[in-house]
Formats: sequence, C-alpha cells, structure tokens
Amino acid sequence: MTPLRRMVTWRLVQVPFILLAVYTLTFALAWLIPGNPLQRDEGRRPPAAIAEAMQAQWDLDDPWTFYWSYLGDVSGVSWLLGDRSGPVLEFGPSLRHENWTVGEIIAGQLPISMTLGLAAMLLAVILGVSLGTLGGLKPDTWVDRLTGSVAVIGVSIPAFVIGTALLMAGGVWLEWFPIGGWGSWRHLALPAVALSLPFAAWIARLTRQGVIEEMQADYVRTARAKGLTERVVVTRHVLPNALLPVLSYLGPATAAALTGSFVIEKVFAIPGLGMHFVDAVLGKDLTMIMGIVLVYSTLLVLLNLLVDVLYAWVDPRIGVGGGS
Amino acid sequence: MARLLCIPVVLLAAMLTLLLLERGDDHADLVLASENEVFTLDPQRMSWLGDMRMAYALYEGLVRWNPEDFTTQPGVARSWTVSDDGLTWTFELDPSAAWSDGAPVTAHDFVWAWKRLLLPDTAADYSNLLFAVRGAREILQWRAEQLAAFEPGPDAAAALLAATDARFDDTVGIRAIGPHRLELQLNHPVPYLLDLLAFAPLMPVYRPAVEGWELDERTWETARTAGWHAVEPPPWSQRAFVDLSETTGRLQPDHGWARPGTLVSNGPYVLDTWRYRRDLQLVRNPTARAAGDGMPDRILLLSFPDPNTALLAFRSGEVDWLTGVSSDVRRDLLDRAAAGQTTGEPRLTRSIHAVPAFGTDFFSFNCRPTLASGSTNPFGDAAVRRAFAMATDKQSIVDYVTGLREPVASTMTPVGSIAGYTPPGGLEYAPEQAVDTLVSAGWTRGDDGLLVDASGAPFPTVELLYTTSSARHRRIAAALRDQWSRTLGVDVHLVGKDSKAFGADLRAGDFMIARGRWYGDWGDPTTFLELFRSTDGNNDRGFANADIDAALDAAAAERDPQARMRMLAEVERTLFQEHVPLLPICQIVEVTMHDPTELSGMTTHPRLVQYLGDVRVSEGVAP
Repeated sequence: MTPLRRMVTWRLVQVPFILLAVYTLTFALAWLIPGNPLQRDEGRRPPAAIAEAMQAQWDLDDPWTFYWSYLGDVSGVSWLLGDRSGPVLEFGPSLRHENWTVGEIIAGQLPISMTLGLAAMLLAVILGVSLGTLGGLKPDTWVDRLTGSVAVIGVSIPAFVIGTALLMAGGVWLEWFPIGGWGSWRHLALPAVALSLPFAAWIARLTRQGVIEEMQADYVRTARAKGLTERVVVTRHVLPNALLPVLSYLGPATAAALTGSFVIEKVFAIPGLGMHFVDAVLGKDLTMIMGIVLVYSTLLVLLNLLVDVLYAWVDPRIGVGGGS
Repeated sequence: MARLLCIPVVLLAAMLTLLLLERGDDHADLVLASENEVFTLDPQRMSWLGDMRMAYALYEGLVRWNPEDFTTQPGVARSWTVSDDGLTWTFELDPSAAWSDGAPVTAHDFVWAWKRLLLPDTAADYSNLLFAVRGAREILQWRAEQLAAFEPGPDAAAALLAATDARFDDTVGIRAIGPHRLELQLNHPVPYLLDLLAFAPLMPVYRPAVEGWELDERTWETARTAGWHAVEPPPWSQRAFVDLSETTGRLQPDHGWARPGTLVSNGPYVLDTWRYRRDLQLVRNPTARAAGDGMPDRILLLSFPDPNTALLAFRSGEVDWLTGVSSDVRRDLLDRAAAGQTTGEPRLTRSIHAVPAFGTDFFSFNCRPTLASGSTNPFGDAAVRRAFAMATDKQSIVDYVTGLREPVASTMTPVGSIAGYTPPGGLEYAPEQAVDTLVSAGWTRGDDGLLVDASGAPFPTVELLYTTSSARHRRIAAALRDQWSRTLGVDVHLVGKDSKAFGADLRAGDFMIARGRWYGDWGDPTTFLELFRSTDGNNDRGFANADIDAALDAAAAERDPQARMRMLAEVERTLFQEHVPLLPICQIVEVTMHDPTELSGMTTHPRLVQYLGDVRVSEGVAP
C-alpha cells in the first residue's frame, strides 16, 4: 500500500469509533437539557394518562433504554440481531416535528445548507485570494490598506446586520432579489454574499501574510534573476506556496459553511439545517439532535480527511504517514 | 496552481447540480406567512393556532362558525335536534359531503375520529374536549390502565384492542345510526356543544388514509361508494401508517399520512405541497360541497423565523398576510396607525392591525401553603395576593412597557369575546388599599420602608419567574418589580429561564409568581374558568377551593342559559375579587399585517379564527 492509501484506510477505520464517542457524549449532554420534548411549554395540557403513555412510547422514562435502543436502530445492529420493529439505519421520527422523520428533514435541508455553504466558500476564495494577493504584493500602500479594511469590515460586522442591509438594498430598493426563501439562484445570491464575507476576510489575511513571506524567499529572487515576468513569478511560484495556509483553513471553514449558519438562515428565511439544530437543542428534540450531530460529525471527519489528501496532492513534499 | 484551481471548480459544479434539483414555485393567489411553521396537519394532534388555521381550510366539521359573531352554522351536519333533557343530540349529515378522493363523509368518520381523539394511543392534547360525552373519560382511563398493565403474549394486543372497541361501542355515547345520522349522549347538558364541535380537534379524518390502508381495486371501489365502514379493514401488515405493538399493546401511529399525496380531506382545500420549513400549498378541493365565488385557488404558506425579514417580505409585496408580527419591530407603525396618521408609508400604516384576541396575559401566584423549597409561602394567603394585585398599575404597563395599548384585564375572560357573557370587574389599581390589605394580613412597613411581620421578620424576597424567549416578558416583569417594591416595600428578584426550564418549574410548582397566558378554546366562560378547578390538569397555581369547585359544578348542572351565565359570572367575580389565584394583566393583542385594499373577508372577532376560503384577494391600488 502506498502511504496515502494506508493513511486513508486507517482514518476510515477510525470513523465508527469516533462516531460512537460523539454519540455517547452528545447523548449525555442532550439528556441533561432540562424539560421534556413531548411537553409543550404553554397551552392546554393533555390528561396525565396520555403524558405518561407518550413517555413510555419513546423510551423517555429511562436514559439507558433510549441510549441502547436508539443506537441499535441507527447503527442497524438491532436489525442484524433480528429485531425488525424499529427503523434501520435511520434516525427515527423527530420528537418535536412528528410529521417528519429526522432522516427526511436532514435529506431535505442539508443540500440547501450545502449549496449555500459551497457558494459562500467559492465567493470567499475568489474574493479573499484576490484581496489578499493585492495587499500582500504592495504591503503598507493604499491598496493594502483598502483591501485590509474591506477584510476587517467582513470580519467585524455581525451577519444579521449585513444580511438585513443586503435584503434592504437588493430586495426592497432594487427589487432584484426575493426576500428570503429558497428555490433559485436569486434566492441564493444575497445569503451567499453575507455568509462569505467573514470567510473571505480570513482568507485575505492568510493570503496576504503568505504572499509577504514568500516574496522574500530566495527562490523568488532566483526566479526574477532568470528573467521571469512579475506575473509569472507570482502565479507560478509565490501563490502555490503562499496559499498552503489557506488550504488548511479551507477544511474546517468549508465544514462550518456547509453545515449551515444559524443567523444567515434565520435572516434570509432559508430552510437549512443550522437553524434546525438550534431549535432541536432548545426543544430537547433528542432524535433530531443525535441525527444532526452524527451527520455533521461524519461530514467533518470526511472533510478533514479530504483536505489532508488534497494537501498531499497539491504539494507532494508534505508527508502523509499516519497523521504525522 | 492549476491543481489548486480544481477546488473552486469542483465546488461550483457541485453547487450548480444541487441548485438544478430545485423546482420552481407555482403562482399563489394568497400568500400568508408567520414566524412558525406548521407542526401537524392531523386535527386530533393539533393544539397550535397556526395548525388549526390549516385544519379549517382542509377539513369541515359538523358545524362551522359564522366569522362575524361566532354563532354556529351548519357544516357537514345539515340539521340537528336536542332531546328535552339536553343530553341527546342527533345530527343529520349532508349525504353529498365527500372526501377529496370521492368517498362519502359518513357518521362513521366522526365516530372514528373522536374515538381516535379519546384513545391514549393518539396522545391528543385535546382529548378532554369530549369528556362531557357519556363514557368518554372512562374509556380513556380504562385503556390507559390496561396498557400500563399490559402483558405481551400471542394476540394479546389484538385482544385488548377488540375489547376496547367493544367497550367503546357499549359505553361511549358516540354512535353512528346509519351512514348519515350521528348521535351524541352527554353526561350533563353542554350549552356550548355546537361551538365545541366547530373546533379543529373535532374535525373528521378519513380512516383509510390515516391508517394507510392497502386494498385491492375492487374493495377500494366499495369503500369509495359506500364508505370505508362497508369493507373489512385490511390486516395490520397492510396498513402503512399504523402498527399494533405486540410488546406494548399500543396502536403506534406513523404521522406520515398527513402529507401531500396521502392526506385526504373534506374541506374547501386539499394539501398540494408541504416542504418542511419551506412552504405549504393548498389548492381548491374539487369535491368540496360549498365553493364561494372568488375563493383563492391556491394558497401559499411561508414561515419567516426573523421578524425583520417577514416585514421586509410584506413590504416588498411577496406576502399578502403576515400573522404574529412582533410589536418590537415597528412600534412606530403601530403608533402611527393608532393615531390615524397616513403620512410616511401609507401602505404599511394602513396594513398593520392590532386585534384584541381570545386570551389573557397574567402572572400566576403559587397558592400552595408552602413553597417547593419547604418554606412558608406568603402567597398562600389570599390577602397578600389581593394586595399585590391592587399594587399593580396595569394601565402604565400597556401604555409604556408593552407599547401595544392592550385592554387591561382584571379578570380572566376577555370582555366582549363571548356572546351573552359580561365578565364582572376584578380588583382595580388601588395602591393605598393594597398597603392596608397587607397590614390586615399582618405585614407592616418598618422604619426602613421594608415590609416586616409582627415578629419583625422581613417579607421573603419575591421571586418572579418569566421566560427569556421574548423581551416583552422581561420588560413586564421588571415593571412589576418596580411597582411592587415602590408601593409595597417588598424586595423582588427576577428569575429569567428559557421556556423548557420555565415549563418544568411551573409544572413542579417550583415558583412564587410566574408569567402565563391562556387562550380560550370554546365560546364559553368555562374555557377560562375551569382552570381554577382544583383537579384541573392546567392548574399550575395549586389553587384549591371547595366552594369554587362546587359553584362550577352547580353552573354545569344549570339548564337555564342565562342563569348559568350569571352563576359563572359570580364564580369569576369571587375568584378575582377574593381569591386572586392569578393576576390578570391584559387581553392579548395579536398584531397582523394585511392591506385592506387588497384583502377582504378578514375576521376581527377576538376568536380570530380565519377561514381561508372566506378571504378575497383583489389587485392592489396605490402603493
């Protein structure tokens, strides 16, 4: 086996154990949330007999039963052992939104969060790398200060302010974009811009730093000495090296963008998973919390693995042996 | 570098693919939006106002309300008769009433839906709506006990279910006499029975759809022409949405039926699409009996979790009707609308409506003699509760704190919401009398201005529990703290909790004073007053008074409607002038937005039930 293949195999073997640890920890924390997902906080309550019956039906009267039966259903182990009553490889129905299963909700909303996240990351990379390179090539000039302030604004203005401002401008005054919702590229544009800004700002910072450092390296002087134009020096030699920190930032950043942003989804009324997760926690929707956390964790583990592989692919000098 | 460029390209490709999978939206005649999404479309599982609004569009009950005055008028039932003793009601159903799949609506649909409401397996919040029906409470309790003691065994679950069905038929006063006649037998006369029957949880449902029956074509044909009761229900394995658990003995419903494609309804609309947290669309039901001219053909429901965005969507014309508008968002609009000004943004100003609703905001006193901590509860004494009520200046709260200028309340039942009932007055703001009342209860103000008892022990720090979900609650709580400490010299401590923790404390009786609100369900004062019965499941206050219980019983037994209303008014008077188990603040006001030049047929009655089929949409005039 090549070192790369060995690393990938080893990391994949770890996945179930990581997920089990995540499941256990999440379960413990979720169980500690006060309240009861089946009880409403306000309004008329059902007779006591009904409340007790509901508790028992969902195994909510005993954490151990819930822990093991849910684990058995989700992992498919119960099914393999011959119990055909529960769902298989499924997260079961949401405790708070009974008309939907957790699987349906995730399948319906994760793609939306992912599309938004991908669009935002793409914008962030284009914007961040351009601004960062411009600033890094001419440090401490007006170009640098201009790009620098754009980056600072991107990081420091809260998303709900940027989001509302974009809606006012693009939706109410210009009437180019719809106010919230989902379904076409026009729905995507404003939230993608709003979500991309903080990421773009970070990427710009990292790029600028990288470019400034690399421009002073010996190989740049060599490249110039052999008569290459400045453009070629920058694109062929400087940027590939300067962008390595950006690449390692992209892994967790993409994961964060893909899994949804609570604020952006709320402001733009986007039916994504980020908002759902917050609601699930507030409502102690155990099945939903477990489902989303497991899907997120899997995504995060796989994205990190992907970034490591990409690293090796972009820059073969980087070793891949066993996570070293 | 070329390799690095692959990343955005791959991202772009993936993104476009995902976006191409989306389908476009159909044009809707009426677009409504609210903060929350619909929770369920199963009428027996409903308890939210927003869900019920959908139920009134999808289903038709025995009767419906006249949205002008909330008297009842025929629905599926064409006519009805009541026996002389008021205990037996017989309804004649319209034979032309049909489900959206063409099957007739029969009395069996109502019997089955109401049985479903009563059985603990359904876990309906509103199962007690039918407790006035003979044997209803008993069948729920009986089956709950049987299920709790259930021993798994071969066919044990089926045997228990058969026994339940037999018991229901024998003992419960809900009977189909032929396909189009329904009989109800009550324990005691219920003057507001028709009003109850118009309520969403009592809507009929179509059993083959709810249980997901899988039948062959010929059997389907019989069910569609004669009604499902004419065919043998398929075995459990051929019912997609329900299972009979061999281990618990319980019917295990799968709520997946209440979705597009499987939901069968009998109201003016059918469900076209429902994508969770995105949109829900209704279209006209082709088999609906009564179709008004100009009914919206397609209705789109959106949810906007952010109140700012919702208002922007209304402003841009994407939403025709916005419910549950947060008063914090545009207080200037409310002020302008209240002052009758139309300058500035005329469309927005004429579109905002603050409508008094069928509910009351209040603060509950813990009426138990001791607190959960074991210490003596000062609010166990009614005189102390009266003093706190009289020390509360509600008018200044609605004028300056909430900003909605709600009608202040001194009793539970909102004024003008129930025909034939005038709520009596409760305690008014009277700071000096409040201090006197405290003195008579043994509390005096010491030299330092603080309240002490005869032995010099200070009045315990008052803990005021509220939910942090909305700024409104915190502001009202802070206002109360200021008023009480100023007028009574008590030390008040605000305890803010999120709604889950708050609810847990409330149920456990672990509070001194806690915020609350209550919406009435049926058009009778008992929808508010039964809350004060010592055995009521929603009696968070731990209030128990044998005289009140007896007076409620006496009113329930009274046959003369006017005398009964007088008796209930007396109960309410006693409650809010003497016992004061809770401190009413104001009638709840709902803020909604719609442009009256574009939408008509909107109800302004406090009950606020809006039949969507009554709405008429016209093209807007000047912006």
